[in-house]
Amino acid sequence: MEYLIHILIITGIYIILTLSLNLIVGFTGLAALGHIAFACIAAYTSSLLALNLGISPWIGLLLGAILAAFLGMVIGLPSLRLKGDYLALATFGLGIIVYSIAKNWVSLTRGPMGLPGIPPFSLLGYEISSVWSYLILVLTFVLITYLAIRNITNSPFGRILKGIREDEIATLAMGKDVNKYKLIVFVVGAFFAGIAGSLYAHYIAFIDPSSFTVMESITVLLMVVFGGMGSLKGSIVGASILVVFPELLRFLGMPSSIAAPLRQMIYGLLLIILMVWRPQGLLGRFKFK
Amino acid sequence: MAVLQVQNLVKEFDGIKAVDGIAFGVEKNSICALVGPNGSGKTTVFNLISGYLKPQRGKIFFNGKEITSLSPHKIAKLGIGRTFQNIRLFPQISVLDNVMFGFKYERGDKFFSALFQTRRMKQEEKDNLLKAEGILKFVGLIDKKKELAGNLSHGQRKLLELARILALEPELFLLDEPFAGLFPETKRTMLDLIRKLKERGKTILFIEHDMNLVMSLAEKVIVLNYGKKIAEGEPEEVRNNKEVLNAYLGKK
Amino acid sequence: MIQQLILNGIIAGSIYVLVALGFTIIYRTVKFFHFAHGVVFAAGAYFAYTFFILFNTNPLISFLLSVCLASLLGIAIDRFVYYPLRKNNAPNLVYLIASFGVFIFIQNLLQLIFGAQILTLRTGPIKEGHHILGAVITDIQILIIVVSFILFLLTYLFIQKSKIGNAIRAVSDDPIGARVVGIDSEKIILTAFAIGSAMAGVTGILISLETNIEPTMGLNAILKGMIASIIGGIGSIPGAILGGLFLGLAENLGIWKIQAGWKDAIAFGILIIFLLLKPSGITGIKTEKEQI
Repeated sequence: MEYLIHILIITGIYIILTLSLNLIVGFTGLAALGHIAFACIAAYTSSLLALNLGISPWIGLLLGAILAAFLGMVIGLPSLRLKGDYLALATFGLGIIVYSIAKNWVSLTRGPMGLPGIPPFSLLGYEISSVWSYLILVLTFVLITYLAIRNITNSPFGRILKGIREDEIATLAMGKDVNKYKLIVFVVGAFFAGIAGSLYAHYIAFIDPSSFTVMESITVLLMVVFGGMGSLKGSIVGASILVVFPELLRFLGMPSSIAAPLRQMIYGLLLIILMVWRPQGLLGRFKFK
Repeated sequence: MAVLQVQNLVKEFDGIKAVDGIAFGVEKNSICALVGPNGSGKTTVFNLISGYLKPQRGKIFFNGKEITSLSPHKIAKLGIGRTFQNIRLFPQISVLDNVMFGFKYERGDKFFSALFQTRRMKQEEKDNLLKAEGILKFVGLIDKKKELAGNLSHGQRKLLELARILALEPELFLLDEPFAGLFPETKRTMLDLIRKLKERGKTILFIEHDMNLVMSLAEKVIVLNYGKKIAEGEPEEVRNNKEVLNAYLGKK
Repeated sequence: MIQQLILNGIIAGSIYVLVALGFTIIYRTVKFFHFAHGVVFAAGAYFAYTFFILFNTNPLISFLLSVCLASLLGIAIDRFVYYPLRKNNAPNLVYLIASFGVFIFIQNLLQLIFGAQILTLRTGPIKEGHHILGAVITDIQILIIVVSFILFLLTYLFIQKSKIGNAIRAVSDDPIGARVVGIDSEKIILTAFAIGSAMAGVTGILISLETNIEPTMGLNAILKGMIASIIGGIGSIPGAILGGLFLGLAENLGIWKIQAGWKDAIAFGILIIFLLLKPSGITGIKTEKEQI
C-alpha cells in the first residue's frame, strides 16, 4: 500500500513538471528541451541550503524555485533568436551544461556522490515524512500548479501565447512584444519545475546528478506530447500513464536489467508513434508547426 | 499632410539591391496603390515600413515621427496595420479569437491579470468580444466566428486578415495584395470595405497586380521596377507613362 | 604536456569528423538533424562484436558484414520513420523528436540484447604507443586519423565530382528543380542514408578498437558530431572537418587547466555561442530564412 502512495507522489511530481513544460512547449510552441535543468537547480539549492545552513525546506523551496526561474530567463534568451530544431538543440545543450555543473562542481555539489540526508518539510512542529502526509503536500502543489497554469492560459495573455505558437510574425504585426512573452513563459515554466525539483529532493532525501539527465528531460517532453500539447488535462493523464505503466512491468516480475531498458524502449517507440501518427497526443488539439 | 513618408530607402540582400533609393509619400485619408512587376521590391518596401527589415540607408516617417529602426510590434502599436502576401492567420485558433488579437488592453493582457483572473481582465475581455463581433459583422464573417481559421476558404481568410487589423484600429493600412485569388463577389466586398475605411478617415496603401482594380480604387499610383520608383501620380497619367509600359511589356 | 593535448585534440577531432561526415551527407538531402545517426554508429560496433567475438568470423568479413548491416539499419530508419513524416510535411522539429525516439529505442534494444556491461573487440594485449615529438600515439589512433582524412577526401570528391554526388547537391539546393530534371529525390535520400550509415558503421567499429563498446556510446558520438557539423557549417563537407578538428582541439585544450569532466560543457558552450552569433558556422553556409 505504501508503495502505491509512493507511486502517486512520484506521479504528482511529474505532473507538475509536465504542466510547466506544457506551458512553454504546448501553449507557446517553444521547442524547449532540457526542462529538467530547472528542477535540478532548485533541488540542489534547497538541499544545500537545508544541509549546510539549516534553512527551512519551505524557504529552500521558494528560493530554489526563484533560482530556477532566473535560470529560465537565461535559457529563454536563445529562444528569442532561434527556431524549431535549433532552439531544441540549444536548450538541450544548456540542460547538459547544468548537468555538467552538478556533476563536476564537486566542492559544492559532491558531484556523483550526491547529497544524502536531505531533511524533510515540517509543519507546526510535525515532520512531513510519512508517505501519506507527503502525498497531501504534493497534491496541494499539483493543484496550485494546475490552477495557476489554467488561469494563465485561459486569458488574453494565454491567447497571445497561442498566437506566438501559431505565427510569431503575425503576432508581432498585432502589436505584441513577442520576446517579452517568451521570456515570461520560460520564467514561469522554470519556476514550477523548480518546485517539482525541491519536492523531489525533500522526499527522496537524496539527490545526485543522475536524477537530472537528458533522458529525464526527454521523458517530460514525451509526457507533454503524449498527453497532448496545449491540454492541461492531457498533461495529467499523460504523466500518470507514463509513470504508472512502467511500474506494472515491475509487477510482472521482470528483473530490472530487463525492465529498465524495456521501459525506455517503450518511451522511444511511443515518441516515434506519436510523431508519425498522432502528434496531438491523447487529448491535445495542437501540433507542432 | 503626409501620413507616411519614405525617404531614399536602400535595402540590399547579398549584394543585390532589392530596394534602391525609393522615396514617396502617402497623403492622409488617401487610397494609394503600390504596383510593379514581380520582384520589383513591393513587399520588401512593406517589410521595411512595418519594421520586419531594416534598411541599409534611408528613413521612414509616420505622421512626422521617424520609425525606421523601430521593431514591428512597436510600429503596429503606433498605428500601422498590415496584411501579408501569403496570409498569416492563426490556423488552429477560432475566427473570433483571431480578431481578439488586435485589441489593446489596459491591464487585461498582463501576466498577473491572467494569473489572478482579475475582474478588470474579465470585463475588458467581455467588451472586446462584443467589439470583435462587431468587426466580424462589418466584414461579413460573423456566422463563422467559432470556426477554426485554418478551415476557412481563401476569400474568407483574406477578409479575416482585414478584420484582424481592424481590431488594432490603425491609422494606416498596408494591404499586401488584398484581392489576390478572390472570386469577383468577394473582390466587390473587399473594394467596398476599403472604400468604407476611407470614409472613416483611414489611409490605405495597397499592393496589387490587377490594373483594373488599381484604376478603379486608387487615387495615386506608385510604380516600382527593379527596386526603383519609375512613376508616381494619378492612375490615368501613370497608365500612359512610357517607362511604365516598358517595364510591364518589356518583361514579356 | 601540451603536445599530448594537441594530439588528443586531433584524435578526438578525427572521430568527430568521421561522425560528422556521415551526418552531413544525410543532412544535405533531408535537411533535418538525424539524431539517430549516433545509434547506427553504436550498432556498427555491436554488429562487429557479434560476428567477430561471438561467432568467431574472419575479421574482414565481420567488418564488411557489420558495415552493410549498419547501412541497412540507416535505410530502415528512413523508410519506417522519416518517410511517413515526409509524406505528412512535418516541420523539422517533429523529425528531430522522432529521431530521439529512434535513438532511445535502439540504444535500449542494444542494452537489452547485449547487457549494459562494457565489451571489447580486442582479442590480444594492448600494444604500446609510439613516441612522437614528446607525445604518445597508438597504432589505432594513427589509423583513426588516417581513415578520417581519407574518408573526408573521398566524401568531398564524391559530392563534388560524381554523378550521384551532383544529384545529392541538386536535391539539397533545389528539390523541385531536381525533380524537373528527372532526379528521383527518394532514391537520392536512400543513397545518402546508405552511404552515411555505412560510414557511421565504419566509425563505430574503428572507435571500438580504440575505446570500448557500451550501449550509450552513440550519445556522445552524435552529440559531438552534430556540434562539429553545426560549428563547421551545417551541410558542408569541408565544414565537417573544420568543425570536427576545431571541436576536438577546443575540448582538449580547454581542459588543460580544468577537470576533464567539463569537456561536454565546453562543447555545448561552443555550440550555443555559434548558434547565437554565427549559426551558419565557420564556413558560413546559409541556413534558410523565413519568408515574410
